[in-house]
Amino acid sequence: MIKDDTIYDVMVIGAGFAGMAAALFASAQGLKVVQTGATGGIDFSTGFIDLMGVHPMEEGKRWNSPWAAIDAAVKDYPKHPYALLKRDEIAEAIDTFTDFLAQNGLDYVGHSERNSRALTPAGTVKRTYRVPKTAWKGTLALESKAPTLFVDFHGLKGFSGKQLVETRKRNWPGLKTVRIQFPSGSGELYPEHMAWALADPAVREKLVAEILPHCDDVEYVGFPAILGLNDPQQVVAQLEELSGKHIFEIPTMPPSIAGPRLRAVFDRGLPVLGVRTLSQKMVTGVEKLGDGSFQFAVGSGAAASTVNAKSAILASGRFFGKGLRADRNSVSEAVFNLPVVQPGNRDEWHLHEFFDHKGHPVNMAGIEVDEQLRPLNAGQPVHDNLYAAGAILAHQDWMRMKCGAGLAIATAFKAVKAMKG
Amino acid sequence: MNFFDIGFIIASVVCAVGIVRRLARWCGKPTSEVSVSSLSWHRRLFLALKIFFLEILLLGRTCRTGRIRWLAHCLVFFGFMGLLLFHAMDDTITARFFPAYESTLDPWQFLRNLFGGMTLIGLALMVYRRVRLRSLRSLTRFQDWAVLLVVGGIILSGFLLEASKIMSPAVFDVMVYDYFIPEDGSDITALKAVWAKKYGVVFPEEISDSDDVFENGLSLNEDSCVDCHSDTTSAFISRPLASALHPLAPALNRSRADEVFWYLHISLCLIALAALPFGKFFHPLTTPANLMARLGRRDAAKDDVPSPAIRGLGIDACTRCGECSLHCSVGPAFSVLGNSNILPSEKLISLKGFESEASLSGQALEAFAEGSRICTECLRCTDICPSGINLQDLWMASKKAVSKVAPDSNQAIRLMEISERAAPFGECSLPPISGLADNKESYLACVQCTTCTSVCPVVAVSEDPSRDLDLLPQQIMNLLRMGLKEQTLGARMVWSCTTCYKCQEHCPQNIRVADVLYELRNTVATRLREGECADERDG
Repeated sequence: MIKDDTIYDVMVIGAGFAGMAAALFASAQGLKVVQTGATGGIDFSTGFIDLMGVHPMEEGKRWNSPWAAIDAAVKDYPKHPYALLKRDEIAEAIDTFTDFLAQNGLDYVGHSERNSRALTPAGTVKRTYRVPKTAWKGTLALESKAPTLFVDFHGLKGFSGKQLVETRKRNWPGLKTVRIQFPSGSGELYPEHMAWALADPAVREKLVAEILPHCDDVEYVGFPAILGLNDPQQVVAQLEELSGKHIFEIPTMPPSIAGPRLRAVFDRGLPVLGVRTLSQKMVTGVEKLGDGSFQFAVGSGAAASTVNAKSAILASGRFFGKGLRADRNSVSEAVFNLPVVQPGNRDEWHLHEFFDHKGHPVNMAGIEVDEQLRPLNAGQPVHDNLYAAGAILAHQDWMRMKCGAGLAIATAFKAVKAMKG
Repeated sequence: MNFFDIGFIIASVVCAVGIVRRLARWCGKPTSEVSVSSLSWHRRLFLALKIFFLEILLLGRTCRTGRIRWLAHCLVFFGFMGLLLFHAMDDTITARFFPAYESTLDPWQFLRNLFGGMTLIGLALMVYRRVRLRSLRSLTRFQDWAVLLVVGGIILSGFLLEASKIMSPAVFDVMVYDYFIPEDGSDITALKAVWAKKYGVVFPEEISDSDDVFENGLSLNEDSCVDCHSDTTSAFISRPLASALHPLAPALNRSRADEVFWYLHISLCLIALAALPFGKFFHPLTTPANLMARLGRRDAAKDDVPSPAIRGLGIDACTRCGECSLHCSVGPAFSVLGNSNILPSEKLISLKGFESEASLSGQALEAFAEGSRICTECLRCTDICPSGINLQDLWMASKKAVSKVAPDSNQAIRLMEISERAAPFGECSLPPISGLADNKESYLACVQCTTCTSVCPVVAVSEDPSRDLDLLPQQIMNLLRMGLKEQTLGARMVWSCTTCYKCQEHCPQNIRVADVLYELRNTVATRLREGECADERDG
């Protein structure tokens, strides 16, 4: 058992959007931060930062203004976590977050008032607030309906240029597609390996040589998101220089490398800010000490350790992130065993239809918090120094409402603000 | 021709033939690429002198491995060399340089006891070390005990011989007959009184020790004996030994123990001479020669690739001290697998067998090949070896040849066709290793997200993963959770995994992907090993 004698100001439990954001904001406030969490949902991210895209779920109504969508959702769901946040808080949170990403070589682009329209690998269009710079030109191409070539690869599953063209061609006539051999490797291909291979400028040159014969009559060329792991902007810039075309990425099916890119930025950037990151380690137990601070048991086996912190932000996610745990009869919270707001019994968790537009009640389950984002038990905060942020919060269905990253970042911002007082 | 002459001739012939055979074996190897470091002659001379004094005479290398070991070796080395030169070869050396030499005169009598005592203490320390260090004890073979036994036997029988001569009235009678002319009957009695009291002879009859008889004896002793006989108290081990044996003296004297011990002492010496070119007995010659040949190097640099003869010398320079095995990086693998060929000192013996004309076969070859494979070439054995053997070079030079005749199971499976690969694992009577792979719980949470495959560096470097690796990590997990373990065992992914654990670290569902792959490999290795044993049993 490794013992860390440091007493941290805050323990951030979770390494997804909410956890990363909380660690970033807390360290920016001058707090001494420790962060734990294994790979979870963030590796499955598209890389887009949604604020609010769809409401009401059952109508599937898409919104051009995220702010109007938030207002509408909060009106219908008064307990939605966005109800605890002011617009300028949300905006500041997202800007601070994307500024950090930009400083680390991952620029994000978008409008302040409205959502951008971005392409998905299925060829559908989703509304989102911020788009990685490498995908931005895709939104421009879509907006201007400029002639565009979609490139896909023999052996890369779940990404079909043909499907993109078929889905979009009705109101975007200048589309075409080509399937090529990836210049490095054949057979079954995986995005991360392709991205590694493109670290070699020679592979980029070969790739451009492969597509140039098909580029005569197009302005834009769309690739699956494989253009570099740590330096995608450089890769795109070089491809544009070599081809003379506008290049953009479309996310692939999960796990797309957009997620690992985000994670890599935080893995590199947070320790520089003084955050102690206990990466790939989970909190296995917690004890409240006499002075009100927490002592956490972290990790297992030889790498197990204890960590002391004056306060904590619970950003452990939902079921996939292991923040919520579902057993035969009920849903529980994994670290503090906090009360979970949930349907009365198991039969009510899911509707009859898997793809029911209304969304399943269990997806609205989670932790209820006060206006300072402190988890509640019978209307009272469970601990004065425990805050919750992100997908673990109750009364939201981020996947259907398209509000995941924004909600995570904004609630993390608010939790840090409340903690600072 | 007496016993000694005949024995000496036989032992010398055996010794000479043995040495010639060894030399022939060293030189009979086809010459391979040899490179010699480019040192100037005066640098070489300086190094040679340095090695002669520091490493050969003062055993500097041995000192690096432990003070007790060094002390033990120094005691045996100097003690035994002293006995060899001044006692065993007294006619040729001592008598020539010291014309007044008599073996029963001081300082020779004292020195003989001193050297013998040193050797015995040294040997006792060596035995203690071999018994005390558990890891060393398990390495100790017949030849190690044989050397200790023969050398110890020589010294002990020597002391017994000297003690039995001290107390023997028969020896006294012979000496008196040869060198003493009594003037009257009482002279012999007087001399006996002195020799009984002062020199420790145990006579069967009661000897008068009245003062005037003793005075007379002393003057007779002064006239006839002291020129050749120092007081036996200077034989500070043999004399107390004789005193200790006093109660047995009449019986020993009657049975002429002095002659018995003489035959024993001489026989052991001749055995040692005959055994010199065999096994560890040869190291007093080969180890200094090897130290000299290596000129003090402890590495295995490319500019110093030895000739086959020097390699042979190196193999034979092993003193089997076991230091290499005690320092071996992969020693822990030995404690798990139990294959002693993993340890350098034992692998060296197999290497000797492998290089011999008969070579190795069957399990011995497999064990040697496994030892050869597991070696990480970390150089620790070469660096520590007190005999300066270039072990690293020996391992590197033999690795290729070994893997050719006995490829590792990884290699063997990779070379198989797909259909062949599946076959050997299809039917197995062994109970399954019931670990992760057989346990449904291990994969319950798997969502087939391909993260394990995406992060896998082995998949990343493969040109066409499904062609080169058969199955990818997430596909193996999928087959396993469907209970199709047998279909995964031959997959090259399993056999190409570097156990970097990236898959396991990144798995969002905490599936122990790398541990599972490792277990699959162990399952097959166990079955193959079992199968080979069964084949060997069935003939």
